Amino acid sequence: MNKTYQKKHQLWLEILFASFAIEDEHIKSRLYDFSQIAFRHMKWLGEEILATGDDYNYDRDMMLYKRITVFEVIEALKQCVNEIQTFYPQNTLGERIKTDDIYLLEYLQEVLQETANNKEITAFNMQRRWEDLPQDQIDALTLFLFDESYKEYELILIYAYMQARTKNLLHYNVFQDLVDESHFHLKSFGNMMAKLGILALPRELHEMTYIVKDLDQFLVDGIAEEEAAKEMCKELSDAITDEKLSKFFDFINYQESYHINLMQKLL
Amino acid sequence: MYKDVKMPKGMNPEVLEHLMNPKNYGKLEDDNGIGVALDEKTKEYVIFYILLNDEILQDVSFATNGCQDTVVIGSMFSEMIKNNDINYAKKSIEKMHAKLGEMTPQQKICAELVFTAFIAALKNHDNRKEGIDEELHLLKMKESCEATNMETSHE
Repeated sequence: MNKTYQKKHQLWLEILFASFAIEDEHIKSRLYDFSQIAFRHMKWLGEEILATGDDYNYDRDMMLYKRITVFEVIEALKQCVNEIQTFYPQNTLGERIKTDDIYLLEYLQEVLQETANNKEITAFNMQRRWEDLPQDQIDALTLFLFDESYKEYELILIYAYMQARTKNLLHYNVFQDLVDESHFHLKSFGNMMAKLGILALPRELHEMTYIVKDLDQFLVDGIAEEEAAKEMCKELSDAITDEKLSKFFDFINYQESYHINLMQKLL
Repeated sequence: MYKDVKMPKGMNPEVLEHLMNPKNYGKLEDDNGIGVALDEKTKEYVIFYILLNDEILQDVSFATNGCQDTVVIGSMFSEMIKNNDINYAKKSIEKMHAKLGEMTPQQKICAELVFTAFIAALKNHDNRKEGIDEELHLLKMKESCEATNMETSHE
């Protein structure tokens, strides 16, 4: 079952990053919804694995290829969805996941039937242009996005891992809030990376990162990290001359403040 | 790949390629040495895997929960030492210092985390050869993060 979990984890990322890579807002939004469904599949598969006394991990074996057209992205995604079908369990959950995937495949086929959808993908061209933003600010933004997209991915997986193992309802709910918040941040940063032409997968998590032995210590460290992230957002917001972008980082900064409150509830 | 990309001024295309696609990242299944460098204050770590046969580093990999500087340095360093001998690898630490040029104190800490994890992996390899039961070798960084200021422990 761990193999199924790993495949689902990879499919979640494949759909999510296809959504980031494609500029068309309608296709982007539909794929993002499908990615969220795939994430829930992953969560439910994880719960089934734990219920049988088994375990899963976050190992991955995948690459994000630098594709240059929408159809290349969609064709690759279709292949991933088809490949996973034989891995699903023969039970109610397996059937539910398969029907979701069939619907996704139908949607992907619809996209492929409309040649006007086959636009160029610029998410991997490494050009790093952002309206009138000067180069030093683009450099700062680039580093911020690499750091923080990894961090949000890391937080989603760590909180999901702990949520799956807690028996405490308060903890369960707070972990869910934190996962939801990080999904939004990852979506925002992933789309910004694509706009800059530097879209890349976050690094794989090592078990030293997500197997938390001391929750209190993890939270104390996590709060310190959130404080640091807030500071980074503030520095970036102050340094960036683009008003819209600056406001966005202020907005993220205030969200980080509330994450600290949420984490304090767990202490 | 990055050689063909015309980059705007400011960020080296080689660095960007390492950021987008870190080399030798992840676990090594058939390793014979694992080292960890841990910054206890920040909880940042680098874990370094080696497959060392007849003094040649046939394969290497690393993973970290650290910042992008750590990733770039780990990616560059692992590429430099892979398929080379131990002496070359040890000298590569000096070469990396030269390649990286002037670094901020934070970047120095990141670089030392990578190099220290590699040294710990070599130590673990030696310990295993001597019959010591040690899954990995851990080196805790001190605030200065200098290779000479380390506390060691076995796990």
